[in-house]
Amino acid sequence: MGGGFRVLHLVRPFLSFLPEVQSADRKIPFREKVIYTVISLFIFLVCSQLPLYGIHSTTGADPFYWMRVILASNRGTVMELGITPIVTSGLVMQLLAGSKIIEVDNNVREDRALLNGAQKLLGILIAVGEAVAYVLSGMYGSVGQLGVGNAILIILQLCFAGIIVICLDELLQKGYGLGSGISLFIATNICENIIWKAFSPTTINSGRGAEFEGAVIALFHLLITRTDKVRALREAFYRQNLPNVTNLLATVLVFLIVIYFQGFRVVLPVRSKNARGQQGSYPIKLFYTSNMPIILQSALVSNLYFISQLLHRKYSGNFLVNLLGKWKESEYSGQSIPVGGLAYYITAPSSLADMAANPFHALFYIVFMLSACALFSKTWIEVSGSSARDVAKQLKEQQMVMPGHRESNLQKELNRYIPTAAAFGGMCIGALTVLADFMGAIGSGTGILLAVTIIYQYFETFEKEKASELGFFGM
Amino acid sequence: MALGGTGPQRGTAAAAAANMRRRRTGGGGAAAAGGAGGTMLQFYTDDAPGLKISPNVVLVMSIGFIAFVAILHVMGKLYFVRREA
Repeated sequence: MGGGFRVLHLVRPFLSFLPEVQSADRKIPFREKVIYTVISLFIFLVCSQLPLYGIHSTTGADPFYWMRVILASNRGTVMELGITPIVTSGLVMQLLAGSKIIEVDNNVREDRALLNGAQKLLGILIAVGEAVAYVLSGMYGSVGQLGVGNAILIILQLCFAGIIVICLDELLQKGYGLGSGISLFIATNICENIIWKAFSPTTINSGRGAEFEGAVIALFHLLITRTDKVRALREAFYRQNLPNVTNLLATVLVFLIVIYFQGFRVVLPVRSKNARGQQGSYPIKLFYTSNMPIILQSALVSNLYFISQLLHRKYSGNFLVNLLGKWKESEYSGQSIPVGGLAYYITAPSSLADMAANPFHALFYIVFMLSACALFSKTWIEVSGSSARDVAKQLKEQQMVMPGHRESNLQKELNRYIPTAAAFGGMCIGALTVLADFMGAIGSGTGILLAVTIIYQYFETFEKEKASELGFFGM
Repeated sequence: MALGGTGPQRGTAAAAAANMRRRRTGGGGAAAAGGAGGTMLQFYTDDAPGLKISPNVVLVMSIGFIAFVAILHVMGKLYFVRREA
């Protein structure tokens, strides 16, 4: 690198074409923010129900099934890509910047603008690329079946949906809304899933007469129609292959546990050097990296699944490919599930009975989850600039010191807490995910953990907004 | 007011302004909440030169897009029904 040429500057010619939401030039009142957030959410929800125009079929195994939870996407709808483009481009850019492959000076205004532009451009490019790949790979029927006109229309719809998601996210982040669009969309998608599984009124015939899909509805239906109430209850609580009441209770329990743990923190007292008597506190949470470890972990796992599935379909006889993962179509959903190899061992056991039958699988899964989450958490603080060194620098810039410690000691003192909090917190997140999976919580452990942490962040934002609102009125 | 404590509290308005500023510059804002979480999920926090559009345009554009796809569906249905008949 070095010299006059920098990779970031390649983006400059495109900057003027990228859509850019104006920053709020006034303080947006809380009510207005809520309205913007709700409308964006509404648009997102409509988009994730609206079927794509021109598609022929969406049957067959879905290779992206494992990624759908974290990517807020819905098959066959306009939101087919969900937030994939932004998240992927954001992740790539942050990793590039964090590992110093592209140099960004965060103190220079232009650099920040260029980085944002690069992220957005990459996001749009990824959206275009993925849309073309989806259509050409025959996800919606072969191109010959679709006709060229329809194929182009599908690509256009997918691209435009990608741009809309980018704009909505930017709109929410520029101070018109609450929190970030991406986390809002992920959380909504997961919550929608949970509510649907609990109250879905569709009936499914699985050989024992029509049954309701929704766990709560099925409970009442069984209680009313069956004569043997005890058996009806048992059926509602323990039925397999459809959501049951135990799953629902497990979901609620995981929600409560995560929220309880969110409150765990170490508060370090800090004091301003300039203004005497001004005390502050720097809280270090147990979940220091919040949901990042599981986002990274599931991104890793879903990519591995994707590659392994592709390889298995092409070369299923190969020893190395089988070592990576063996796949079989499930009889219920037509979904490929891993039955052997590495992919099998990093998948959660489907039930407690399954766990008892394959203790090695369960053990391997637990060890993998815990170590992966701890490792990702530790890496993430370095990459995202929230390690002890960065925090110490930040506090120093704001002229804050820790009472009873010399200034040079600040980093050492922070170092006692932050890496531990990151590693241990990551491990806790991993453990909770495992727990949720074992109890069979609805929407996979990863999904629930993501949803809860995001909702908790939202509550914090709400509180902060309300407090600042009151502050303004109180003047 | 719990600001996460990275800034000295210099009266509410100043603190709120600092809060706003920190959120705009990203990164630091998330870290101020006592964690590194969400930093990845916060892009586009700074102003950049580009095709400026107001938030209402974004909303109208999205609703227009939804309407467009819906009309496509309707047209498709009508068109194909007529051709097959």
